[in-house]
Parts: sequence; C-alpha cells; structure tokens
Amino acid sequence: MNPQEEKVKIITEEFIENDEDADVGRQKTSRVQRRKRKKQLPTAGPDEMVSEKSHLGDQQEPGHEDPNADARPLSMPTRRGPRSLPPIPSASRTGFAEFSMRERMREKLQAARSKAESALLQEIPTPRPRRLRSPSEKELETEFGTEPGGKIQTTQQEDDSQSYSRVKFRDSVRKIKSKTPVPPGFPSAEEAYNFFTFNFDPEPEESEEKPKAKNRDGANQEEGEGEEEEAPVPEGIDKTDEEVLLDDKDAVDFLLGLDRGAEDIVAVRPADYESVHIRLQKEKELLFIPSRRTVPTYKKLPENVQPRFLEDEGLYIGARLEVPRTNQNIMENRLLMQEPGRRWFGDDGRILALPNPIKPFPSRPLVLTQEQDIKAELETLYKKLQALRNAVQVSLNPAKTPKSLDTTRRAINEYKSEIRQTRKLRDIEQEKDRTLLKTIIKVWKEMKSLREFQRFTNTPLKLVLRKEKVDQKADEEAYEAEIQAEISELLEEHREEYEQRMDEYRSAHQQWKAWKKAQRTKKKKKKQGVEEHPDDEMEEPYPEEDPVKPVPPEPTNQAVIEQEVRERAAQSRRRPGEPMLVPELSLAGSVTPNDQCPRVEVLRREDVKRRSVYLKVLFNDKEVSRTNSRPLGADFRVHFGQIFNLQIVNWPESLTLQVYETVGHSGTTLLAEVFLPIPETTVVTGRAPLEEVEFSSNQHVTLDHEGVGSGVPFSFEADGSNQLTLMTSGKVSNSVSWAIGENGIPLIPPLSQQNIGFRSALKRADAISSIGTSGLTDMKKLAKWAAESKLDPNDPNNAPLMQLILVATSGESYVPDFFRLEQLQQEFNFVSDEELNRSKRFRLLRLRSQEVPEFRNYKQIPVYDREIMEKVFQDYEKRLRDRNVIETKDHIDTHRAIVAKYLQQVRESVINRFLIAKHHFLLADLIVEEEVPNISILGLRLFKLAEQKRPLRPRRKGRKKVTVQNLSDGDIKLLVNIIRAYDIPVRKPITSKFQQPPRSSRTFSEKQAASPTTHSPTHSADYPLSQVLVRPFVEVSFQRTICHTTTADGPNPSWNEELELPFRAPNGDYSTTSLQSVKDDVFINIFDEVLYDVLEDDRERASGIHTRIERHWLGCVKIPFSTIYFQAKIDGTFKIDTPPVLLGYSKERSVVAERGFDPVRSLSEGSYITLFITMEPQLVPGESVREKTSDMLKKFDSQEDEKLLQATEKFQAECALKFPNRQCLTTVIDISGKTVFITRYLKPLNPPQELLNAYPNNPQATAELVARYVSLIPFLPDTVSFAGICDLWSTSDQFLDLLAGDEEEHAVLLCNYFLSLGKKAWLMMGNAIPEGPTAYVLTREQSHYLIWNPCSGHFYGQFDTFCPLKSVGCLIGPDNIWFNIQRHDSPLRINFDITKPKLWKSFFSRSLPYPGLSSVQPEELIYQRTDKAAAAELQDRIEKILKEKIMDWRPRHLTRWNRYCTSTLRHFLPLLERSQGEDVEDDHRAELLKQLGDYRFSGFPLHMPYSELKPLIEAVYSTGVHNIDVPNVEFALAVYIHPYPKNVLSVWIYVASLIRNR
Amino acid sequence: MAEVHVIGQILGATGFSESSLFCKWGIHTASVGLLLPCTFHHVLRRHLGPLLVLGPGAAWKLLSGVREGQTQVDTPQVGDMAYWSHPIDLHFATKGLQGWPRLHLQVWSQDSFGRCQLAGYGFCHVPSSPGTHQLDCPTWRPLGSWREQLARAFVGGGPQLLHGDAIYSGADRYRLHTAAGGTVHLELGLLLRHFDRYGVEC
Repeated sequence: MNPQEEKVKIITEEFIENDEDADVGRQKTSRVQRRKRKKQLPTAGPDEMVSEKSHLGDQQEPGHEDPNADARPLSMPTRRGPRSLPPIPSASRTGFAEFSMRERMREKLQAARSKAESALLQEIPTPRPRRLRSPSEKELETEFGTEPGGKIQTTQQEDDSQSYSRVKFRDSVRKIKSKTPVPPGFPSAEEAYNFFTFNFDPEPEESEEKPKAKNRDGANQEEGEGEEEEAPVPEGIDKTDEEVLLDDKDAVDFLLGLDRGAEDIVAVRPADYESVHIRLQKEKELLFIPSRRTVPTYKKLPENVQPRFLEDEGLYIGARLEVPRTNQNIMENRLLMQEPGRRWFGDDGRILALPNPIKPFPSRPLVLTQEQDIKAELETLYKKLQALRNAVQVSLNPAKTPKSLDTTRRAINEYKSEIRQTRKLRDIEQEKDRTLLKTIIKVWKEMKSLREFQRFTNTPLKLVLRKEKVDQKADEEAYEAEIQAEISELLEEHREEYEQRMDEYRSAHQQWKAWKKAQRTKKKKKKQGVEEHPDDEMEEPYPEEDPVKPVPPEPTNQAVIEQEVRERAAQSRRRPGEPMLVPELSLAGSVTPNDQCPRVEVLRREDVKRRSVYLKVLFNDKEVSRTNSRPLGADFRVHFGQIFNLQIVNWPESLTLQVYETVGHSGTTLLAEVFLPIPETTVVTGRAPLEEVEFSSNQHVTLDHEGVGSGVPFSFEADGSNQLTLMTSGKVSNSVSWAIGENGIPLIPPLSQQNIGFRSALKRADAISSIGTSGLTDMKKLAKWAAESKLDPNDPNNAPLMQLILVATSGESYVPDFFRLEQLQQEFNFVSDEELNRSKRFRLLRLRSQEVPEFRNYKQIPVYDREIMEKVFQDYEKRLRDRNVIETKDHIDTHRAIVAKYLQQVRESVINRFLIAKHHFLLADLIVEEEVPNISILGLRLFKLAEQKRPLRPRRKGRKKVTVQNLSDGDIKLLVNIIRAYDIPVRKPITSKFQQPPRSSRTFSEKQAASPTTHSPTHSADYPLSQVLVRPFVEVSFQRTICHTTTADGPNPSWNEELELPFRAPNGDYSTTSLQSVKDDVFINIFDEVLYDVLEDDRERASGIHTRIERHWLGCVKIPFSTIYFQAKIDGTFKIDTPPVLLGYSKERSVVAERGFDPVRSLSEGSYITLFITMEPQLVPGESVREKTSDMLKKFDSQEDEKLLQATEKFQAECALKFPNRQCLTTVIDISGKTVFITRYLKPLNPPQELLNAYPNNPQATAELVARYVSLIPFLPDTVSFAGICDLWSTSDQFLDLLAGDEEEHAVLLCNYFLSLGKKAWLMMGNAIPEGPTAYVLTREQSHYLIWNPCSGHFYGQFDTFCPLKSVGCLIGPDNIWFNIQRHDSPLRINFDITKPKLWKSFFSRSLPYPGLSSVQPEELIYQRTDKAAAAELQDRIEKILKEKIMDWRPRHLTRWNRYCTSTLRHFLPLLERSQGEDVEDDHRAELLKQLGDYRFSGFPLHMPYSELKPLIEAVYSTGVHNIDVPNVEFALAVYIHPYPKNVLSVWIYVASLIRNR
Repeated sequence: MAEVHVIGQILGATGFSESSLFCKWGIHTASVGLLLPCTFHHVLRRHLGPLLVLGPGAAWKLLSGVREGQTQVDTPQVGDMAYWSHPIDLHFATKGLQGWPRLHLQVWSQDSFGRCQLAGYGFCHVPSSPGTHQLDCPTWRPLGSWREQLARAFVGGGPQLLHGDAIYSGADRYRLHTAAGGTVHLELGLLLRHFDRYGVEC
C-alpha cells in the first residue's frame, strides 16, 4: 500500500471527525443544504477521479491546477467524464450503478424539495445571479477554487480513463454491498445520506479496496464541505446535465440495469486461497531476503584490491555508530544485491559511515531542566549505592572471597565508608528533588490563583502533574526494605563505633583500676609512713590528674536510630504508596480571548501588539543585516525565522545581535546586545544547533497599564508586600554556522594562524571542563591534559589543539614571537639565502656597486661564478678582518701603527658622514655652459684682430676644462715643463783628477788639496774655461713612469723642455673624489750626468770611445699630485731639496756672488728650479665639494654663540665681496665635526723643555730648533686623508698624539710655540707654492718680519723672492682676525702692520669687541721622552729593510756592502743631526777621503721626518743610487734616527756607492 | 639566483594639465607592508622632506643601480608631451618571484615660482617577460575638498598622500576622492637570467 494513500486517508478521516464534532449543532440548521449536496453527489464521478488521482500522483500540487483548468475547457464536471471517455463507461456496469444512484437521488431530492420549500425560497435569491456566469468560471469557483485537497487534475487522458473506470468498478462493488441489507427498492433519504457520509468500517475481505473507497468517501465529503456555500448553485444544472447524460450515453445501461436484480450482479465464489508454497514461490520472485551471514570482504571490494585499514595508516576515522553485526550484514548483503556498484563500501570493506553523531554530553529538553538533572543524578547515586551494598555483601561472604582476609576487610571498610558517603549524597539529592517539586507545585498554584484572580490567562502554559500509580504494597515493602537496610547499616556503623569505644573504655578502665589499686596501696603506705615521714605528704604532689572512672559507652539504641532514619526518610522521601508525581509543562492551555478580559488587560495586550522587535546583526562591529520588524506575540515570543548569509572578508572577531524594540510608530530603542560566539570551524550549516543566549536590558520602563514594566518594583501580592524588580530580559534563539560552498567545501577561514587554533582550542568544552578555563592559558597544564586524555591526533577536530600541544611540549611552551608576513615565501623561493649570498658574482657586483675601495671601478665582472677567483676577495676580507687588529709589520713603530689605524678609522667615519656630498652635483658638474658672447667680448675679439701674431711675451691661454665623468685611462696626461734651474752644485775638481791614473802619491796629494776653501779659488779660475762644471738633467717620475730631459751644461742650465707623463687613476676611477685622493707624488730629480772613460788602454783611445755614463743625484723637488689637481697648474721657481752633504759636489756660491747675478737671491742658499706643471686636459677640480661641504658643515652643531656665527658669516661675505680670491678663515671644523671659531686654536703652548735647553742664550736658534721640531712631525694632507671633503682642525695635543697633520696643524703648533717663546706671532693664511691654500706663520722680529714654513721648518724674510708663500689672505692672532684689504697680496709688497685698519680689516673691532673666547687648546702640552732603545731598534730595522730593498732593486747584479764605509757614515749622521745639516760638509768630506781614499765615492744623506716606512723607501729609490751597474761597485747605507720628545723621530739615511779606484 | 636587469627609460608624460613636469620614481621589490624611512635620497628630500618608501623585499637583492630617482623638469615647447628620457638601469638578483619589482611614479609640476606640486601618482609592475616593453602608466592624484581644490587652483599645493603605500595597496583607497592625471610613458627592457633553471619559462 502506498504510504501516500494512507496519508490521504488519515487526512480525510480527521476531516470527518472534525466535521462531526464541530458541526453537530449546525447539522440540523443546514439540513436543507445537505440535501442539496446529496443531490449533487451523482456528479461526483469526475471528482472521485480527482481524488483517486491524488492517490496516485502527488497529492497537492497547485502547479498542476491552473494548466489543467486552462487546457481543458471543462464546461461541466458531469459532462467531462462521458465526453472525454465515451465508450468505456458504457461498457462497464458503473454507468448503470451510477444511474440507479442518480435515480434515487433524484427521488430524494424531490422529497427534500417539497419538504424544505420555504427554506429554499429564502436561499434562492442569492445564488441565482451566479447561474448567469459562464460554466467554466463557475467551475473554477465551485470545483477548483474552493477546495485545494481534491482538486488535482491530471493532464493525461489515459490516466483519467483508467482511473475512472477503476473507480467506477469499485463504486459498484461498494454499492452492491451497501445495498444488500435492503435488496429491493431505494434507500431512504437517511440511508442515502449515510451511504455517502458514513465512514465505513474496514472490511477484511476487501482490504485493498477499502481505503480507496473510504478515500473516495472522504473526497466526497470534502467536496460536500466545499460546496456548502454553493450548494444551491448546481441544483438545476446538475439535474439537466444528469438527464442529458442519461439520454445520450448511458441509456442502454440504464435500461438494462433497471430491471435486473441484485442476484445477477453477485456471484458466489470459493475463497481465494493460494497455498503457502505457491505464495512463498511467488514471494521469492518478488521479495529478497538478505542473508544475515557476514559478507566476505572480497565481494565488497573491487577485484584484486586488498582492504585498506585507514586507521593503521594513520588517517583519522571517527568512532562508528554502534550497529549490531547482523544488521550490518543484512545491510551489506542487500546493498550488494541491489547495487553492485560497491559505492557504498569504503576501502576497508565496510559500509561507509559517518562518525558517531551522538554527543557525549546529554542534551536535555527545555522544560524543568533542573529537576531532570537531579533525577539523573539521583539514579546514578542509587545505582552506586546498590552496587556498593552488593559488593559489601559479597565480600562479607568469606566463602566467595578468595582474597586474604586482610585485604577484604580493608575493601569492606572502604566500601562501607563509600556507602556512607553515597547515602549522604543521595539523601541530599532526594531532598533537593522533593523541595524542587514542592516549589514547582507552589509556583503553579500561585499562577493558577493569579489567573483565577485576574480571570484571564495570558499564557498557554499548563502544568500537568502526572501521577504514577505505584503498587502500594510493593512500594511499602521497598520503602521498608530501604529503611531497614539503612537502619542495619547505621546499626552496624554504630556497633563498630561502640566496639571501638568499648575497647577504649576497657583499656581506660583497666588503667583506672590499676591506678585505683596503686592509690589504695599508696594510701596504705601512707598510713604507715605518715609517722615516719611526716613531710612525705608534702613531697607527694597532687596526682597529675585524678583519673576519672571511665563511663562505659551506651549501647546503641536501635529504636532511636530507626526513629532517626524514618524521620529523615519522611522528610526527604516520597511516602510509600504516595503516587509519584511527574510534572509536565505544556503549552496546551488556552489563552483567554480579548473580549473576556478586563479592560486593563485589553490595554496591556494592545500595547503588546503595538510593540515590535527586530534584530540587527553586527559583524566585527559593523551592521551587516537586520531582521524584519516583527510584532511581539501575546506570549512575548517573536519568531523571525530568518537566515542571513554573510560573506566575510575580514577575520571574524565578533558577532553581535542588537535587539531593538519599536513601540508603535515612535522611535526604536536598543534593548540589549547579545554577543554570539564565532562558531568553530567544524560547525557548518545544517550541523549547527540552535542556541539560546540570554540578554537583559537595564532600561526602566513604566507602563500605564497592568504590565509589569521594567526596572520598576512591583508586587504579586495584593497587599503590595514582597516587592520584586524585574528587568526586561529574554533569550535569543539563534544558530551560527559556516556555510558550505557549492562543491561541498565548508567556507571556513583557514586554520593556519596559531591564535585561531588557540581560540578554537579554548572553546573545546571538555578541555575546559577538565582543567578549567584558567588552565588553558597554562600551556603545560594543557599539554598534560592532552596527554592524559589521549586525544586522537588524527581527528581533524583536534588538529589545532594538537598543534598547540606539539608546540607546547616540544620546546617549553615556545610560541614564535615573530609574525611572518609572507608565509609561503619559503616555498616559492628558488634558492636559499645562503646560496644567494654565496654567489661570488653577486657579491662582486654588490661590492662594486657599494663602491668598496677594492672593487670600485672594477670593470667587467665575469658572467659565471666559476670564473671568479676566490682571491679577488682576499684583500677585502683581510681588510675587514684586520680592521681592529693593529699590524706592526708595515709600520715598525707601534705608536705610529696605532695612529695610522686611528687615522684610518677617522677617515672612514668621516667618509661615511660625508657620503652624501659625493652625490651632490652642482649645475656646473652636469652642464657645461658656453658663455654667450656679449658685446664687450665681441669688442675684445675685434681688438684681438689687431694683436700681434707672435707676441714677444706670449701669454698662456685658458683651456677648456673637462669634467671628470667620462674619462678613461690614458686620457689624462701630466705636463711638466722644466724651464731652468739655478745654482746647481758643481763637481769638485777631484772628479777630473780621478781620471788621471791612480797613484798612491797622487791620492795623497789629493788629500791635501781636499779642502775646498783653499782650492776653490784656483778651480774657479780654470773651470769655466777648461772643464764642464756639471751636466745636469732632470728626471721626472710619476706613478713609476720616468721621463727625463736632455742634458744641459753648467750650474744654471736652461732646458725649456716639456715632459708628458700619463696619468692613471687608481682602479680606473676618474671620479672627483677618487682623483682627490690620489696620493702619488711627482718627483722631479736633478741628476748630474757623468761620463767616465772606461778605456783600459790608452793606446786604443784613438780608435774607439768607451765611456760609462753615471748619474749622480743632486736633489729633488716633490710635488703631490693633489696639489697639481687642485691648483690646475703649478708655475714657479722651487727650491731644490738637496742633501746637506753632496759628496763630490760643491755649491759655486762665490762664483755666483761674484758675478752679481742677483743680490737678492744670495740671501737664501740652495738650488732652484723653475717649473710649470699642469694636466692635459684640464680637470675641473673638486672645488664644488668644498662648497658643498661648507653647506653641509653649517648644519653641524656648534657651541659658538649664534651672534658670533652670524658675524663670521657677515665678515666672510664682506671679505669675499671685495677680494674673492683671498682666503678668509673665521671658523673651522674640529675633529669631532663641530664648528669652532678659529682664534680659539691659538694660545701660547710650551715647546719641549729639551729644545729650550739646547740654546739657552740664542733665541733665534731656539726658534729654528722649534720650527725644526714642528717640521719633523709628518705631514699628511687633509685632502688626502679626508678625500677632499673638508679641513678638520685638530688641536695641538691631538696633533702631537696623531703625529700627522697638514699645514694648519703644523702652523698652529708652531705659532703657539712662538707665542710661548714670547714672540709676536700670527697664523698667516694664504697661497703658497706648491701647497696652494696653506697656513704659514708670521713672526715679528725686532725690525723685520719672518715667514715660517711650518712643514719644512724653513723661514724666509719678508722680501725673500724665493719664499714659497705667494699671497697673504688673512692673519690670525689669538684674539683677532685681520683680513688683508691691501691692493696686493704678495708678502713682498704688503705691509704687515696690522694696526692700520686701512690695510687690515679686523674681525673684532669697536663695534664688535673681542668677547674673550676660551681656547680649545690644552693648558699645557706634556711631552714624554722617547724611548731611545726603541728608536735604536727601529733604526736597525729600517736599515735592514732598506738594504734588502736595494738588493731587490738590483736583481741582475751582485750588491756588495762596504761595512767600513757604512760604519763611517753611521758615525757621521748624528753630527749632521746636531748641526741640522749645515756646515759639516767640508769636515765630513775630508774625513771620508781620509778613510776611503781608494774609492770613488758618490752618496748623500737623506733627511726625513719619520711617519712610516714607505716614504723612506720611495725616497731612497728616487735617488737612483742603486742604478749603478759598474761591476765592482760597493754600497754603503746607514740609518740614524734621532728621537725627539713625543715620539717625533728624525730619520737620516745615508746612501752611498763606492767604486774602487784601480 | 636568477637575475633581472631592468634597463630602460622614463620617456615622458602626456595629458597633464600642468606644463613643467618632473617625475620622481622608484622601483620597489618589497611586499606590501613594511615602511622604512628613506634616509639617503636627499634629492627627493630637498623637495619632499623625508620620504617613506618600502623596504626591499627579502627575495630581491639590488646588485647595482639606483633604485629611485628624480627626473629633470621638462617644459614642453612643442606639443603636449614632456620628455624626460630618464634612464633606469637596475640589476637585481632574486631568489623568488615574490615581490616582483614595481615602479612607483610621482609626477610633479613646477610652477613659475619654482614651487612644486603634485600632479599624479602612478604605479605599474615591471614587465615579467624579457624584451622591450612600452608601458603607459596612468596617474591620479587626490582631489581633496572643494576648499582644497580652490586653494590648489590659486596658490598651488594640495593634498598629497601621507604614506606612499596607498599608491599600490588598494586597501584604503576607497576613502580617496581622486582626479585623473596624465599618463607616464615608459620604455623598459628586461633581461632575465637563470629563470629557466628554476622552472620559470620566459
């Protein structure tokens, strides 16, 4: 049987019942209508079909309704059947049966009509107009429009016909049945009515037919119901229709059936019986009974597949639902039979099943939860009690316990104590239960009374106390047994206690007895001994305690205990026989309708109706949606039933519901906010349970009706006592879950974040229950819990927790405190960082890009790593490594090594600080703008046309300057124009004598003639005529490139030659900074070319010339490249740096003087050379850097007064306006980068006492000595050390500590010394040759001024033409600055009288008085004596190194050292130092000749301040001593270091070559 | 270990209502987020004060070249387009594709008084295929309130982004009301090396 059918049946049945119940009263009144309805019944054919149809197909599908109505223009229901199916009904008997029915109905109708004529008449007027409607329209109303249940039509005609016929058939059968009791004639009206309306009881023989028949009945009934209002409508029409139908279609049947009796229709047949076998057979065909046997696994799996056990593989499989094995087997068998596809089976050969959905915690119904709770607890307690009692019983029985008695006893004791505990608990629970029940009943009673009092009910709440009958006797027995058990237990307990006490008592009693006895004996003794020892009593103190006679414990009174137990039982337990009360709360109560309520209540209800509530949904504190506003129900419930889909892009943080209340049309008020938890990721749509969240509002509402309001005290009692204050509160029932996407993937946020895992772990209910919420923050606790609870690590639900625990347990609760921005970066990386860093190519590229000195301007970097040698980085790495390690190897002297390191560091830091300036380009750096010719230039040009083509005195033309950007090797050339020299030392006549055959007598005579003072006049007489005095030439070496001029004759040669030397920048870097830091010097050496006749035999002289050319070094001029670079050109006459002793040469001073060449020149001694040096092309010097840095420097902080700084700026601006070329210095940068006013540097400072003691009576000599001391401090130009960035002025003590500095430091120190010596001294800023802008010191002697070069220690008179200082910018004293505002700036032409304001512009004047600036210099300089031993050691080392170097420079020749000569020289060097290289030449020469008469000797001492080894080597190399390649040459080299205080070392190197005369 | 050479030029700009234009540009390889103050580029600082730029992405290393710069001011005499022809030459080494270089552009205009004001922000990715690419980068600038617009029309200035990251991160843009600027034209040539070694075909 179709379940749908059944349903329909049930519906109809209900309907009928309803009808019966409800319309009992109405039946009589509407009788007439019913009649009419009956009359219409014959038309029910199609309607039956309809209802039948509803059995077959879908029951209620309104979708079918309209198309049917449209598709089939059914004019009349009666007509439809026959018309659509003309032949079939006529063939069956149905037509007949129907006919007869209709006949009868017609009769009945007639009778009814006559009966209820009057009633009809009343009703007719209303329906009549309806007749006029079109049939279809009417039909819609009557048949389809009113009744949804039975109106379903089918579109298929065939269905129609079949069902129709079937129905008819059934109809007839039923009709026969009903007819049987009254075989002939027609049923009465009552009967007829009954026939259609009565609900037939089921008939067993026709079980199949019955429900349908009934159904049809139901349908009819329904139709009848539906037509109640329309009853009059079909009246006439039906009739006529019926007649029409009868006439044309069923006429034959009608005629036949009319006369036939019931016998013809009924046939008696034997009962249908099928044998069991046959039935079984048939059933076997139809039915499938699955086997209960276990299905072998191979059947469930695809062929040749081994079952997998996922759990063993480590995959998570939830606990399966417990299903009996047989059921599973049946299911499996059936599945295998039905669907061989095996899709129901998993890989393990079992049916696919979801994990057990049953929650481990109970979910309970809403109502009376607490009580239920207690009930459950009670039950468990009971069970426990029972079990324990049993256990005690069992263990008490010794036969059953094989355990030892001891353990048993212990167990029993434990059990007993537990029993006691449990009993207590049970009693408490029972009491709770009872009191709860009592309160429930009480509250209900109160409510009831209130309802009665109010005479209305508002809520459908209804409490029903269900009494459960209990068997009085059994209950009593159980009760008694319980009590007895309890009593016995208690008794036992008491007995135990009693026994225990009894034991105690006994022992106590014994003791007492003993004591008593003792006492007695004592007393006896006392009596005896009182006489003996009267004071004995005194001795015996009171007995400590008079032991009380122990009272024997009372035996427990059973009656008392029983009484107690019973009392307690009566209090807490249900009395025996008392019915068990089970309260049930239902909503079945009826609410009093409005019209029966009092006015106030009606008001209240209306007010409630006016109120509506809606919710806002806030996600992350933003409103995302809101519900519809729903009115508040009478029971204060609001049903929203809305689902909000929320697509979120942000991480869910909060989910809030805001409850709003609207009263009428006034505004809304926020009642409360409800915070919902973000669902766990496992909660997806469909799985989310409905949760209730309580809320409550603190708002105060007072109402003007009976309503309670909120926050207002009120009372339930009539007298107003027992006041209560209730707030508006409620619950929001909601469910929050994650949606599931189209492909079944839950749309949950990723679990990757750690904190999320933690959060969801927080929500794990069981974790909280086991260790408490506080425990969750304690990682260790959590980990412990996880370990104990044996979580399935594979369960996806546990995944975040497991991760957390893994972290917690592995590394002492290590939680990474970093936040990885790109989590997946690691995965996508091509290579690791290490590999990237290892790449040599990249490293090289980066280093080049960073302009690391070693790699700056590295030209081409190989494409492949393998082509890059590891050694490329060696230097760089070594430098990095050694940055803080002081290497003494290169420096020999530790102090200087430290200083060098320090300088290096200062340099680096300064470079870093000024790195910005390097990229700072001025417009001129980038753009070369040719000046636009203006009219004046044009005029000049025109004027030029008239110029001489070849002027007698040509002028140098300005050349185009070239910026340094696009230069490469070979582009830059150094042009050295050597013009002439003056006063070159001339050879001594000895040289000519050497050419004579050597004889011992000759040498002796030579010795006598050695003194030049005696001989020179004679020589001078014949030299100019007979012999060459000197044949000098000039050799220029730069960057190891050597060029030399042709050889000229005489002491005043004129070469006028231009030498071209290529310039190579370090690393090919031609940037400004690089060029500025080029440390190379241009050496201009003057040599004498000496020709020796090497001819052995005089006889061959006629046929050949054998000459050896030797060159003897005469002196040198050293010009740093940086000077050339900054000066762009060097033009002038320079003093040749000649050694103090030049063996074999002498200055022809007298000759010159006699000739009166230049009287002025005679003032200064020495040789001079006129040079012009420049570069081709002319480079733009890095002046811009200075400008930039001066800009930058202004930003440095200064401790100077702001006014002073402003004044300096003003002063400088004024000076620059008048004489832009003159140097004006007011502020300088100290070594820490601060701006300092310049006069602060000048202050009298004490020179070393040692120097002052040297010439106590000769101030001039002392001054010279001091100047020499200062000049011995090595010179290190700022421009080199700080790469042309800026001048840093160190104070004198810093300068002496560093032992390096440039002109400023030297000048400042010298000036300070002079001030301390009591001289008038100034710092003189100006331009010198070759230094460029520099600082000199001016002192005022008695009548004249002296200009001191602080770096060389030389001094010049004001009018010395060879003074290197060419212009004077300003003078700086300790308290003022004077700017030269005279027309000329050459020291020769200016007046140094600073008191004349017309000549010197002073900084501090009357308008700006000197504020008395404190000095930055120290109070006093402290000098340590230099360790002489260290100096001696250094001396030896230098000598050794130099010797090695000379040997290195002569790789093809043997280098012999003349020890004798060396020692002689060594003795001589201290003399030189003492005399400062003056006036020793002659003595020395004489001595040398005396000792080394056999040798032709050429050599000279070199004197230098010591800074490091390299300059010494360079100096020795530049003399070219080693270049002699005479086979039997010998060398001598001596080094002497004279230590001055403060580790200032004066180095003397004597190099000589000796050639033995044969 | 892959290498990327970006060689090209910022050709110029068209479509700006202002005439004297210059462009500040920067190539960033950082992922969105990290903001570091640019300490060294004083050229930018001269006009802008300390500028905030993105720190370099971890995957990318600049081997040589300058990451950012500023073009000259160009006042077109003929036609509409301001030509800068500013060279860009960068050499990157990378260990991943994350943080592919991005080009940030800020077009500024200089008025006759030498004042600079913003004309547009632009942003585009450096192309990822080798070869020469012609890029057009449209620009925009924040509009500001009517008061600010009025002020801009008369005295110059106007709203500028406080942080440059809004140029490429779309997160907070919805708050901006912007006006379209002109288009910056770029011509970038790309040389890739060793990408095929890591499975990136190009």
